[in-house]
Amino acid sequence: MISRLLLIAAVLVGAATSATAGEPRGKITIAWHVTISPAWFDPSTAPPQITPFGMLYAIHDALVRPYPGQKMGPSLAESWQESPDGKTYEFKLRPGLKFHNGDPITTEDVKFSFERYKGASTALLHDRVSDVEIVDPQVVRFHLKEPWPDFMTFYGTTASAAGIVVPKNYLTQVGDDGFRKHPVGAGPYKFVRHKPGVEVELEAFPGYWRRVPNVKTLIMRSVPEATTRAVMVKTGEADFGLVLDGPDAEGIRRDSRMQVVSSKHASIFWIEFTEQWDPKSPWHDPRLRLAANLALDRQQINEAACLGFCPPAGVIVPRVMDFALQAAPPPYDPAKARKLLAEAGYPNGLDAGEFAAIPGFPTVAEAVVNELNAAGIRVRLRSMERAAFYGAWQEKKLRGLFMTAAGNSGNAASRVDTFIRSKGAYAYGGYPDIDELFQQQASERDVEKREALLHKIQQLTIDRVMFAPVMDLRTLNAIGPRIARHTITDVWMSPFPSYEDIELKP
Amino acid sequence: MKQYITRRVGYSLLSLFLLSLTIFLFVRVTGDPTTLLLEPGASEEDIVNMRHQFGLDQPLWVQYGLFVKSFLTGDFGNSFYYRSPVVDLYFERLPNSLLLASVAMVLSLLIGIPSGVLAAVRVGGFWDSAGKVFTLLGLSLPSFFIGLVLILFFTVYLGWLPSSGAGTAAHLIMPAFTLGWYFAAAHMRLTRSSMLEVLGSEYVKLARLKGLPEAMVIGKHAFKNALIPVITLAGINLVVMINVAVVVETVFAWPGIGRLLYEGISFRDFPVVQAVVVIGGSMIIVVNLLVDILYALIDPRIRLES
Repeated sequence: MISRLLLIAAVLVGAATSATAGEPRGKITIAWHVTISPAWFDPSTAPPQITPFGMLYAIHDALVRPYPGQKMGPSLAESWQESPDGKTYEFKLRPGLKFHNGDPITTEDVKFSFERYKGASTALLHDRVSDVEIVDPQVVRFHLKEPWPDFMTFYGTTASAAGIVVPKNYLTQVGDDGFRKHPVGAGPYKFVRHKPGVEVELEAFPGYWRRVPNVKTLIMRSVPEATTRAVMVKTGEADFGLVLDGPDAEGIRRDSRMQVVSSKHASIFWIEFTEQWDPKSPWHDPRLRLAANLALDRQQINEAACLGFCPPAGVIVPRVMDFALQAAPPPYDPAKARKLLAEAGYPNGLDAGEFAAIPGFPTVAEAVVNELNAAGIRVRLRSMERAAFYGAWQEKKLRGLFMTAAGNSGNAASRVDTFIRSKGAYAYGGYPDIDELFQQQASERDVEKREALLHKIQQLTIDRVMFAPVMDLRTLNAIGPRIARHTITDVWMSPFPSYEDIELKP
Repeated sequence: MKQYITRRVGYSLLSLFLLSLTIFLFVRVTGDPTTLLLEPGASEEDIVNMRHQFGLDQPLWVQYGLFVKSFLTGDFGNSFYYRSPVVDLYFERLPNSLLLASVAMVLSLLIGIPSGVLAAVRVGGFWDSAGKVFTLLGLSLPSFFIGLVLILFFTVYLGWLPSSGAGTAAHLIMPAFTLGWYFAAAHMRLTRSSMLEVLGSEYVKLARLKGLPEAMVIGKHAFKNALIPVITLAGINLVVMINVAVVVETVFAWPGIGRLLYEGISFRDFPVVQAVVVIGGSMIIVVNLLVDILYALIDPRIRLES
């Protein structure tokens, strides 16, 4: 096949951005559900979680990143090219870019940022990238040891923070600790101050390449209690209340001045059948696994636990991810579930033992347990503490059926890698043909062929009833009456707003 | 006396050692912090990497040795969650906790002592019963419930007070009251029983026989003596308020040490939990030591008996 030169993005500065209207004005307060850690001011130590990106994408910018209208948009880089052999990625910086402190952004900063990165997937990135070559102050090349179709997923999305560019000169002067105390970036908002445990204040950076942010001051306030966050939005103390519980969100929804908006990040609940590979276990019989799938009234669970915002799922790869199979959820058919149980030799139902569920979502867990029991799959909810559950899951000590959830970014391949293939870090077993397909897609550079392979893997998980997908997890967020445009669903796979695009009512 | 003090200091050091060992082991049996600090589904490589960064791949005795060393040098290591020195985090939060605890303590004494005296003077009467109800509510209503009810009333319905945060006097009122009520109830109970004991003593009877006015008997003779155990308890309670106002600080998003401890426990941030517990424990041990020494100075029987 003739080698290709793939021009992923051209200089379309205006196309993906909306026109800016005047000076930034006003102040908004965002009530966060967690205490903001100074570790999130520095991309080099960002853990593999989505939460730090709520801060990182405010202060910093990356060569390539998701922003409204773009899943993987040219950001500090105006364009990039993959070489015909798939082993080199060349990025060209936008001209005239500056950090918040006025330092110009050059390819030295790009190389420095990549090399100091030690957050999520560091070894993966550093193992596969052999060299970062500075061609000139505007052009930089990443040389890979082998073609790696997922390089841009890890370098240009929330799967890792390796693509975020920090100022080399400033960091060299102040050191890591100094940087965490007063970070300088190239994002839409400048750091002003951090009151530990209370709030972070940010101010609009007029020199941001995409647009001048609409809102002048952002206050990110840490409010760990969900009810307090909801109250703050009701009383006008906050304009955004992130991650509310169902009852609090219901209270917000009843008030016509406010709205509840769900996120669209890559998070999903599903049930694992840990013993399906054991011929002595009843769960080896796919009819039982199908019965469990048919026993779940996913829409009802969604209504009960998520106010109807969490769409029922048909496969364990979140639908918003690249290469996700858009599969319809299994129908709710308790009669057929009971019939399948009878056919499998359990006409009076089956005692399936304890059912561990990921902590923090009691309503989902109880609804799932009730519906399994109603169909004759008798399970007892086992309460576990968070660390104990995660530890047991990771060490594969949970037995029988259990419900879990995962919200890390990436794409369908990274989900298959972790949860579906037999050597996956969290997989209880697997199938050789799926492993083979996984290997094939890992080196497949034709996007359509790769998608077909990944779809086939996901279809096989459905055909073999490997899991019982439940529903996507969407966070519920309260939006106050002063906000004209919240942008909370505008950044692909992120539950945070596109800060520079937030608009206040006149 | 010298021997007495030496022995008390020895006991204190032993308590501190046992406390440090207990908390060190307890936090470690609660689970692996890397599973909470990483997104579920994080790669094996990220988990191993994080365990190495935090020194959790070292033998337990090495980890304990490093903890003791960090305690003795006063730095307490780096927080897993914040990635910054624990001692900095602690002292950043300490002024907020001192402020909240001081105001809550003043409130608790202002409420607890007069109501305790009143209840003791009018045993079985209306004020005694009212005091019992007040005490029961203060001790049995959970802080998060009181906090949320206050927020609903004063913030949502009346709009008088901010729901959370810190910075102004208005921010302090609800958390200080919520925290103070619990301790007010404890102070009221102790004041009442202490007053009852003193009121039954010979010298109070003598004062009454001398024909002193009742106000003088209660105010001058009984109250002063009854106050000693209350003040001792209040001193220990102040240390508790500073270090473990976990629920109150979480509900009102008050940036104090209690919330730091809550976050530390939530994320299995071992250095933070260890530091807060050991510093808080040290404060209690030091207060007790000082009280013991003061008692011994005041009362020769104590030092002679020991």
